[in-house]
Amino acid sequence: MEKIEAKEVDFYYGDFHALKHISMDIPQNKVVAFIGPSGCGKSTFLRLFNRMNDLVPGSRLEGEILIDGKNIYAPEVQVDELRKEVGMVFQRPNPFPKSIFENVAYGLRVNGIKDKAFIEHRVEEALKGAALWNEVKEKLNASAYALSGGQQQRLCIARAMAVSPSVLLMDEPASALDPISTAKIEELISDMRGKVTIVIVTHNMQQASRVSDKTAFFYMGEMIEYDDTKVIFTNPHKEATQNYITGRFG
Amino acid sequence: MKKFLEKSVRWILTASGFVTSVVILLIIGFLFTEGAGLFGEPVIEDGYVLAVNKENPVSRLSAEEIKAVFDEDITNWKDLGGNDMPVRTFRLEDADDYFTEEQLGSQYEHAGEAIAGLVASDPGMVAFVPGTMIPDGAGIKLIEDKNISPGEVLGGKEWFPTATPAPLFGVLPLLAGTVWVSLFAILFALPFGISIAVYMSEVASERVRGILKPIIELLNGIPSVVYGFFGLIVIVPMLQQVFGLPVGESGLAGSLVLAIMALPTIVTVAEDAMRNCPRTLREASLALGATKWQTIYKVVIPSSMSGIASGVVLGIGRAVGETMAVLMVTGNAAVIPGSILEPLRTIPATIAAELGEAPAGGAHYQSLFLLGVILFFITFIINMCVEYISSRNRAKNR
Repeated sequence: MEKIEAKEVDFYYGDFHALKHISMDIPQNKVVAFIGPSGCGKSTFLRLFNRMNDLVPGSRLEGEILIDGKNIYAPEVQVDELRKEVGMVFQRPNPFPKSIFENVAYGLRVNGIKDKAFIEHRVEEALKGAALWNEVKEKLNASAYALSGGQQQRLCIARAMAVSPSVLLMDEPASALDPISTAKIEELISDMRGKVTIVIVTHNMQQASRVSDKTAFFYMGEMIEYDDTKVIFTNPHKEATQNYITGRFG
Repeated sequence: MKKFLEKSVRWILTASGFVTSVVILLIIGFLFTEGAGLFGEPVIEDGYVLAVNKENPVSRLSAEEIKAVFDEDITNWKDLGGNDMPVRTFRLEDADDYFTEEQLGSQYEHAGEAIAGLVASDPGMVAFVPGTMIPDGAGIKLIEDKNISPGEVLGGKEWFPTATPAPLFGVLPLLAGTVWVSLFAILFALPFGISIAVYMSEVASERVRGILKPIIELLNGIPSVVYGFFGLIVIVPMLQQVFGLPVGESGLAGSLVLAIMALPTIVTVAEDAMRNCPRTLREASLALGATKWQTIYKVVIPSSMSGIASGVVLGIGRAVGETMAVLMVTGNAAVIPGSILEPLRTIPATIAAELGEAPAGGAHYQSLFLLGVILFFITFIINMCVEYISSRNRAKNR
């Protein structure tokens, strides 16, 4: 069952042709990794799924992206409604300058939820889901900035998951973290597999091979190869993929 | 050669830094010594005495009582703790009403004795005369004089620096005027300033912002006397009509002019703070399904709150220290204002208006320096607030 379908997507930043004719299906509740050298367009492609690129002036999309069979770029689509369905975790931890509790509750509050008991329940669930509850349950009112970088990133994951999205986009979520925090994030991704569709951009190929079901290799704005992770890392069909995963360029 | 050049550059830099600091310290020191000099001045005008009948039990009068006596607001000695008898005042100018030219002498050489005789013969008489004129003894006594006290000045409700025999230097009316005008100015400027800042940083397109920002910054460059002129010609008559006031010059006019003047500072600083709100925070909020407006008031404004606060405090600083525009539109009545629609007078306006007519070195002159000291402390505290807020901001963003 396909969660996200990209159909012949071309994307431009002004005159720059950033993504070239990409078509890809992302299966529901699986983990898909995007790999490729810097500037290959993988983050740009990821940010099309929650229309984050709308914020870039002069950008333009051709083709269609469907989530649950509906074109998310159709004119009647409410972007804020779409983003409740498609959560995102960024490269650097970016908690709000608010308390830990308020960070997680933010998504619920902007959705107009006022039921205090429900919010408390969801915050606890989300923090437990992000394996952060035991570390912060005593200090929910402390500033999120008092947490370590790894904790902040898990807080951001909890924040994204609190609104129960069906898709979670992760843009190099561990690239700014130490190895132990990275391992915790990867563990989280494994825990969430099967419950939510995860698309993760990463520079770390071991990470891609550890956490993902399918992997796509991007190069110079094109999707070179997309297959089961096992196939990509053991028996890629394209020479460019082979060269990249063996570290001959990149 | 190169070494010598570097050495001399270093020397010049050190010297200029040192000289500047010394000059600033000298100015502050000058301000403080001149201001403190007021407390070394006698209550009664220098060189003069107040003479009363020897039988009169009153031997001490405060500056306010002296003024009330000579303004004929107090007409009976029993109000001053004396016997029940009417107060009669005598000033040197009144001499011709009491004495003939012969009695006074052509050079006023007999005036002292004549006045002493007058005071000695009338138990209710109080005379304000030069100390050198009064002969010793002869049935009169002098009201005890002491120096002006800080309590009288800082707690005094009346500002009459040119009153005779005893000038009044109560700073409360001026302080109240300054606070009222600044407070209302900020009340007006704040909502407008924040709205303009939000509009410029979040709503306006780059092109609109490119036009608007220089215009608002241009407002900072307009001389304050021009604002004052504008206030006098436009705002003052308008207020007079709208509120049906006898005079349009009022605290409100001053606050409106100051609000316009403080606006560019508030807008510029607040807008910078909002634009500096990290892009990642906005993205985080938008990615959670927040709308643009939710993002602005739940993330952008709270996270740039300290920047906005420094803008506001800087705006207050400008309002407190502003002289010319306020002088022109507030009506300059040195009374504690009952409402913002009444004329009032601020500290800087007082200094500017009165320094020219105060004799150098006199009590009035020194009192103006004391006002300068008070103003210095107010702006000093405001600057400390800015420092505190921005240092807290830095700590938070670390």
